[in-house]
Amino acid sequence: MEFFRNTKIDFLSKRKTFFFVSFVMVVGGMIAALLAGIDYGIDFTGGTEIAVKYKEGSADTESIRKTLQDAGISRFELKSYGAPNEFLIRAQDDVATAGTAAVSDNVLKSLRAAYPGADKSDVELLKVDTIGPKVGKELATNAVIAIILSIIAILIYVAFRFEFVYGLGAVVALLHDVVVAFAITVLFNKAGLINLEVNQALIAAFLTVLGFSINNTVIIFDRIRENLENYKNMSFVPLVNKSINDTLARTVNTFLTTALALMTIVLFGGEVLQGFAFTMLIGFIAGTYSSIYISSSFVVWFMENVRKVDVYGKLDRPKGAKVKVASSSV
Amino acid sequence: MKQGQLGKYLLLILPLVIAVWTLYPTYFARSLKSDRNAMLETVSDSVERAQKLQTWNETNGEDYQDYKQKAIKFGLDLEGGMYVTMAVDLVKLIEETAQNDAKDEVFLEVMEKTKAEALATQDDAIDIFVKNFREIAVPQKRDFFDYFDLGDLELTNEEDIVDKLRENSVDAVDQAMQVLSQRINKYKVSEPNISKQGNDRIVLEIPGVTNESEVRDLLQTTARLNFHLVRNNSEIVSAFAEVDDYLKAERERKENGGSAAIEEPPVAADTVAVNADEEPVVAGEVGESTDTTARTDDSLQLAETDTVTAAEEDTTNEDPYAGLSTEEAEAKFQKEHPFTSLFATTLASNGQQINYDAPSFPDVEYIFRIPEDKIDEFEALMARPDIRGMIPSKFLISIEANPNQYITDPSGREWFDFWSLEAEASLTGDVIVDAGPNFDPTTNSPIVQMTMNSEGSDRWAAITGANVKKRIAIVLDNRVYSAPVVQQRITGGQSQITGSKDIKEARILAIVLKAGALKAPVEIIEERIVGPSLGEDSIKNGVQASVAAFLLVLLFMAIYYAASGMVADLAVFFNVGLILTLLAAFGGTLTLPGIAGLILTIGMAVDANILIFERVREELSLGRSLRSAIDEGYGKALSAILDSNITTFITGVILFYFGSGPIQGFAVTLMIGIIMTLFTAIMVTRAIIELYLSRGATGFNFGQPKHAAA
Repeated sequence: MEFFRNTKIDFLSKRKTFFFVSFVMVVGGMIAALLAGIDYGIDFTGGTEIAVKYKEGSADTESIRKTLQDAGISRFELKSYGAPNEFLIRAQDDVATAGTAAVSDNVLKSLRAAYPGADKSDVELLKVDTIGPKVGKELATNAVIAIILSIIAILIYVAFRFEFVYGLGAVVALLHDVVVAFAITVLFNKAGLINLEVNQALIAAFLTVLGFSINNTVIIFDRIRENLENYKNMSFVPLVNKSINDTLARTVNTFLTTALALMTIVLFGGEVLQGFAFTMLIGFIAGTYSSIYISSSFVVWFMENVRKVDVYGKLDRPKGAKVKVASSSV
Repeated sequence: MKQGQLGKYLLLILPLVIAVWTLYPTYFARSLKSDRNAMLETVSDSVERAQKLQTWNETNGEDYQDYKQKAIKFGLDLEGGMYVTMAVDLVKLIEETAQNDAKDEVFLEVMEKTKAEALATQDDAIDIFVKNFREIAVPQKRDFFDYFDLGDLELTNEEDIVDKLRENSVDAVDQAMQVLSQRINKYKVSEPNISKQGNDRIVLEIPGVTNESEVRDLLQTTARLNFHLVRNNSEIVSAFAEVDDYLKAERERKENGGSAAIEEPPVAADTVAVNADEEPVVAGEVGESTDTTARTDDSLQLAETDTVTAAEEDTTNEDPYAGLSTEEAEAKFQKEHPFTSLFATTLASNGQQINYDAPSFPDVEYIFRIPEDKIDEFEALMARPDIRGMIPSKFLISIEANPNQYITDPSGREWFDFWSLEAEASLTGDVIVDAGPNFDPTTNSPIVQMTMNSEGSDRWAAITGANVKKRIAIVLDNRVYSAPVVQQRITGGQSQITGSKDIKEARILAIVLKAGALKAPVEIIEERIVGPSLGEDSIKNGVQASVAAFLLVLLFMAIYYAASGMVADLAVFFNVGLILTLLAAFGGTLTLPGIAGLILTIGMAVDANILIFERVREELSLGRSLRSAIDEGYGKALSAILDSNITTFITGVILFYFGSGPIQGFAVTLMIGIIMTLFTAIMVTRAIIELYLSRGATGFNFGQPKHAAA
């Protein structure tokens, strides 16, 4: 079977339009996300989060809210968690002062006390997460450090294996993917379509997005590197276009298989994996797009405007796109 | 067979063999565990449970431990359970370390500010305290020595005090480790795990806990240190003998269905012989100025203490054990003495095992020792209210926290001393100012030095004076850590305790003694509980979705890339098997994010094969022969595969360093996965294809359109 063969799509002719679209998406997405407000998970804020499961149809958010308020628990958020009879309660009350774990005990006891019959299995504890304020700060700091370090490491590696401008192109694409994935995640969470707070698992998903994105970009760059060797008389824009077309079959097939796998997990993976897979899917789509329209286009733009290379004419190789020969090409 | 072919066959077969070899323990460990849990579910009585568990352990225990060691561990998010991180509250520690009567307004102001800043920033609380002290207290003409008296004249400058605070914080963590590992023993069946994270944190994992608030109370209750007089006397021995009779009668009632069968009282038998070499080592008096609390530790070679040897042939007719084989005698002894046969009771003076059939017991000191596998049953019995009532209430039975280091058991079991203590403490531990391990300057053996405050010193002098040559137990959190014999009346508050086997044991004892001075200000800073049903659900959904995703990808590959796609599928199976193998080999834990990492890896592995196959097709369409197209395809795809996988690997490394718990699980699977991908997607697929071609096949279907086929 074969879908793509010797395609000759001129991807780069529309690069300015797509650049603009991406710019609007990134800036607009970021503004929208900030306006909507980012819901940080307790991993980063500290606090207590309790998920309970009621016997089918025996409670709703209203009755639970009332129960908690009657029990004197004032500062809490309540939302449904997965199934309609499962609820997530996040209490910020006095975790810093009263010592961590008392809060979850208090909540659970009040809920059970208010339930007629009050059997343990009627109000079942699904999970509790209690994070001290200090740990929350530590985890948040580490997450930010992890993302920044990853980006720097990728920049260095790609610059070393290819050329500095390629590293830069890769990082621009990465930032694009992470910001888009972040904005969409935040907006979906706000719209109540999916339960996705910014927490540790989400950071892991972002880092996976980084991995996917760099994967796509590097494969196109690798082809550019190879084609620069093989087609010494081709000018830069057609050469990059050819490289994207050469790898198009791989890009599409990998996209299909991975998106298929992630889609399955989003739909059937259950509450815990769902958010994770969703962010990865969005980031993966963004990453596939950006490997063509951001990273490659960025390199062309850089060559044209910073290095002043005639990207449509004969390449002035010694001065312009000097390319290290890939040593691993056997 | 050609040389190269052999290598390729090995390349395929060897990993398979290793995978099966490494993964079968996981399978057996899980099936044994479910077997054990099913068995435990059938009994509700705790004594019977303990007995059944012991029998189970005798037959399966060794295999189970062995398999478990080698099996893949499942994270709490998959198994359900409780995960707690605890850390020293440094602010409280500083407060505890400072002298109570010296705390004035200036000090309180410094502490107030330190507390606020410690909460708001990530800086170390001791650093913040020192900074604030310099800013607030020093201008008001205060120095550290106004507040800290650490009972040690060698501390001459501020740095020493800061060092001492740091040392105290490490000790507080170790002390909490000691106490907590004793306390969570209660949940032994669910196999809890306690470990130190860095220098100042304790991580506890208790799978399958259903009563989380009970555990939390257990973790947060302050441990108390007390000194109790040891009363291993004839009174307690008689009480034990009574329990024997009571349990025996109870069993007989059960067996006879309630009919009142009267059995003759057991006739006094010869003393049961014990092969025990007793070498009491009395620590010599050392040091001129310090008094010595020397611990006489009986160096006891227990050959067969638990197996009571049958009496000799020439015993009198009254001997109920006459003419019985060792096993029969042992069985009879256990039947006659359902309680006292659980442990060994010896005379402190000569180590001779005593005879519980005797009508009365001499008023001397006794030693009780119990092997580790009987402790559960012993404790379950002692917890029964009816049996509890038979032990005089002025006594407290306490098993030592750590096994007796001087005993070697031929079957490799650890033996624990247990003591009958005077229920009321003679002295509480808060009189202790400091304690530390040291070496005796003359004998060079490890000792523990203990300093008490003046109030404590006076009382200590009175207590030791009244109990010379008797034992005083050091009890933390109701567990005895040491029960040294008092050598003489100790005045001046400086004591030293000998008898520790090595410096490590001495350090543990010193840390325990310090519990009096430091109230181990360890607090829960992170807690995660996964209820059993969420664990089940997430396994079910996660695994089902992952398997479905996996199959879809494999199907796509087989359809699109035909024969080569199936080879890639085979390689993916290889890959997953090898990742699990490595996880098992490195003792890794499989978590939910770990499963996600596995899926990502499968995606990347398939991607590598797509790259290769597209490249081969490309070369084929250029008119190359099949052989050279394969060579070129694999060769040219390599740089792209390497570069993309290495960058992802770098992300994995960073994630591993900066992530915590679950995220690290993800990073580990990802990193292992990438390495295995490079192996399976490149080498394994190629080996399969080439082996196929070398058997005389002329073509291989890469799913390319017909006109381009070679």
